[in-house]
Amino acid sequence: MVLVNEEDDGALVQRSIHGDRAAFGQLVVRYQKPVYNAALKLLRDAEEARDVAQTTFLNVFEHLADYDPSFKFYSWIYRIAINESLNALGKRRPYEAVSGEEPDGAPGPDREAEGAQIRGVIEDALMSITPELRAVVVLRHVMQLSYQDMAETLSLPEKTVKSRLYSARQLLRDILAQEGAI
Amino acid sequence: MADSAQLALVHAEIDGELDDRQRAELARCLLADPAFRAKRDELRRLCGRLDSMKQVDPPTELLDGVLASLPQSKAPGGRFRMPVGSWRYAAMLAGVLITGTIVFRLTDGQGTVATEMAGTLAGSRAPHSIDLAEISRGAVAGKASLTQQGSGLALALQLTAGAPVDVSVASGKQSLAIKGLSVGHTVTALTGFERTGQPVNLTFMAGGREVGRASLE
Repeated sequence: MVLVNEEDDGALVQRSIHGDRAAFGQLVVRYQKPVYNAALKLLRDAEEARDVAQTTFLNVFEHLADYDPSFKFYSWIYRIAINESLNALGKRRPYEAVSGEEPDGAPGPDREAEGAQIRGVIEDALMSITPELRAVVVLRHVMQLSYQDMAETLSLPEKTVKSRLYSARQLLRDILAQEGAI
Repeated sequence: MADSAQLALVHAEIDGELDDRQRAELARCLLADPAFRAKRDELRRLCGRLDSMKQVDPPTELLDGVLASLPQSKAPGGRFRMPVGSWRYAAMLAGVLITGTIVFRLTDGQGTVATEMAGTLAGSRAPHSIDLAEISRGAVAGKASLTQQGSGLALALQLTAGAPVDVSVASGKQSLAIKGLSVGHTVTALTGFERTGQPVNLTFMAGGREVGRASLE
């Protein structure tokens, strides 16, 4: 979960719009981790996720003047990140396999041994559902967004977001149950 | 058998999105149906697994890559766009240029070729620019130029600033402070500074806080 002060975001956005690059740098520092992780979970490729994150921030910078402050800034930036990730997935050739390698969160050796297999099974399962369903799972379980924030981020009705989330969980449940992971 | 409305209550419970009425409804369903309770336990286990997908730290070069790719002289909304991943090529190009500069400086003044090259670019005693940097950090903007004047170095600044700016100049063990610059062109002799291959770092301060940096080679 990213704890933010919306006023601070708004002030940084305004300073960035007026050419204060240091202010934009602060926004990047604040949001680089969730943006990178959203891309990483959607793409499961560290290098591609880094490129998507960079493109996301450059898009944000380029369109800062278009940002509507009646929306949460993080919803806006996450929407761009999700769309860039989906675009990157769309550009993949059909036979292109994902690397299956992610940078580790540096757990201790015991946890590494204990959780690596389960993590791999969960990530495999996540990659086997459609990108649209995966996106809601990432927003809910990785970014910890509420239904309302997910709806705002994806520009979808809350009802649709919930429907997608429940469908995604049902599919993941079936896959993980087959693998004996739940 | 749980219907979709009942399952929706479980999902909402797990997500912390139940209101009091829905909570009471869920409790009633759970009491009435052991199979539904088992289903809820399974969903909770699944969501526990999904919640265990932790966020990792982004690569350190992400921030640098983003900042290096921002347009140098435009506020947001400009059309400049660096293609995806091109920061890597920019870094490679920068590496080649730096290597070339180092090689040139290693031979500068020590060999006939380098001396002749410098002589053709400018008179050996005439001031000539060594490096130029643009500063665009909002509170201060402009250009900084490092010039060779005779055997010494000088710093030329062409600045626009909303408030007086102090500039700290440092290279190796040498340092110098220039106080109270606002707008216009100034040239300051960098007494004691020499071309040693180390960068000349400039830090711009206004109102007690840093408002910009530049580095001249």
